[in-house]
Amino acid sequence: MTEEWTKEAVVEVILKNLRENLYDVDTETIDPKSSMKDHGANSLDVIEVVSATMRELEIRVPRSELTQIENIEQLAEKFMEYL
Amino acid sequence: MGPDEILKFSLADFTYNDSRDVLTPPGDFDTWADDPRISVAMSFFEQPLQEAPTPRTTLGHRLSGEQRPMINLTSYNYLGLSTHPEVVQAAVEALEVYGVGASGAAMLSGTFDQHEAFCEELAEFKGTGGCMLFPSGYAGNLGAIQALMQKGDVLVIDSKCHRSIVDGAKLAGARLATFEHNDPASLDQQLERFEGKRRMVVVEGVYSMDGDVADLPALLEVCEAHEVPLYLDEAHSTLVFGETGKGLSEHFGVEGRVGVHFGTLSKSFGGIGGFVCADERLIRYMKCYASPFQFSCALPPAVVAAMRKSLEVARRDETLRRRLWRNVERFRENLEVLNLDLGDSCSQVIPIIVGANGEELITMAMAAQERGLYLQPIDFPAVEAHARRFRISVSAQLTEADIDEACNVIEDVIARPLGRVGAA
Repeated sequence: MTEEWTKEAVVEVILKNLRENLYDVDTETIDPKSSMKDHGANSLDVIEVVSATMRELEIRVPRSELTQIENIEQLAEKFMEYL
Repeated sequence: MGPDEILKFSLADFTYNDSRDVLTPPGDFDTWADDPRISVAMSFFEQPLQEAPTPRTTLGHRLSGEQRPMINLTSYNYLGLSTHPEVVQAAVEALEVYGVGASGAAMLSGTFDQHEAFCEELAEFKGTGGCMLFPSGYAGNLGAIQALMQKGDVLVIDSKCHRSIVDGAKLAGARLATFEHNDPASLDQQLERFEGKRRMVVVEGVYSMDGDVADLPALLEVCEAHEVPLYLDEAHSTLVFGETGKGLSEHFGVEGRVGVHFGTLSKSFGGIGGFVCADERLIRYMKCYASPFQFSCALPPAVVAAMRKSLEVARRDETLRRRLWRNVERFRENLEVLNLDLGDSCSQVIPIIVGANGEELITMAMAAQERGLYLQPIDFPAVEAHARRFRISVSAQLTEADIDEACNVIEDVIARPLGRVGAA
């Protein structure tokens, strides 16, 4: 199934998890070039969103590779490397 | 996970367990932890001290089992009260009277005359009407925040706050918002964002991984403009900062503007436990809703008797604090000569920031231990990946000779490999 993932689909999974972990975010209008923090996520929310997304994608990406990531799209691209 | 991937992973990566069986750790965690390079790094956890946590002690090496004499820069025994003769004597005498355990939760049968007297003394010391004790510092923050906050509330914390504060918000069901470390403008923004909600701000006196201190005057000004109370965690600053050792709030002369004063008994006090000082009526209420207080056995009476003596000694004998600060100064002077990155430390907690290379950090830690220096490496995710470090806890008990010897080792095993000082 792994080859079925597109970047857009991965972004969707991230946004879905962001929606589930934040209280008042409207993920319909989120620009993938924005960061989760722009939408009020604190560092623990980010960890949770990343964990939940990796779980769903069945990958394990080292956190140390995520420290320089600046926005949702870059996160999706990093996940794509592991799919 | 291939051998070349092992070092990319860290403890941050295995919180999620993909095993079907709850009692089986994730398969790749075992692969990772069994790797010899990771085993070496993990051998720095839970290394058993064979003697008191004083500057000269003996450490059991986890991998070889060998016992080695060490200069200890890792224990939180800042004032040396853990082994102070009067403190030990107080514990021994109380043991004879009360036995070992409290045998009950504080609200039921676990409160002794010692607990009651100590709470009065701590409240008087911190200048509040009330005080309650917890079985540990972690339990103290967890329980106090649980009792104060509820679903719908927002706990606004400094981004470098301790895990116990984060977990307190989780237990309370409150929303957690973080502001940029020590940044009043960022705090203002977060308080603005949640205007209308019940809010509380939490900051720490001394930040444990960086050794810097809260900018209390500026942060309090923001809190007051929003009419939001400040909860101050003085785990590392009580008995260290302030004219009489009350903490950072005394240092800045803002004691009366702090809503809740939190402290631990496991650092400068030299024992174990946590305490919260606040308005008497608030403490009465909190006692009824702080689970770690209600559902833990109370602190052993002998520990409380010893902690009373610690407080008495620390208040009576200012030379302990003076010696600590003299040692901090001597350490800093020596480390600055070595051109080491000490971050923004201005306390008895002094980090030596090594950088992004985790393998190098562990190699240095091993070399230090070989040379008889017990220096704890602090790796990602405990600190940011680009700022892995060692952390020095300065003690009043260190002699000048101890400090000079320690700094010689630091020069050889950290400063030289980092290219901070010449190879000559």
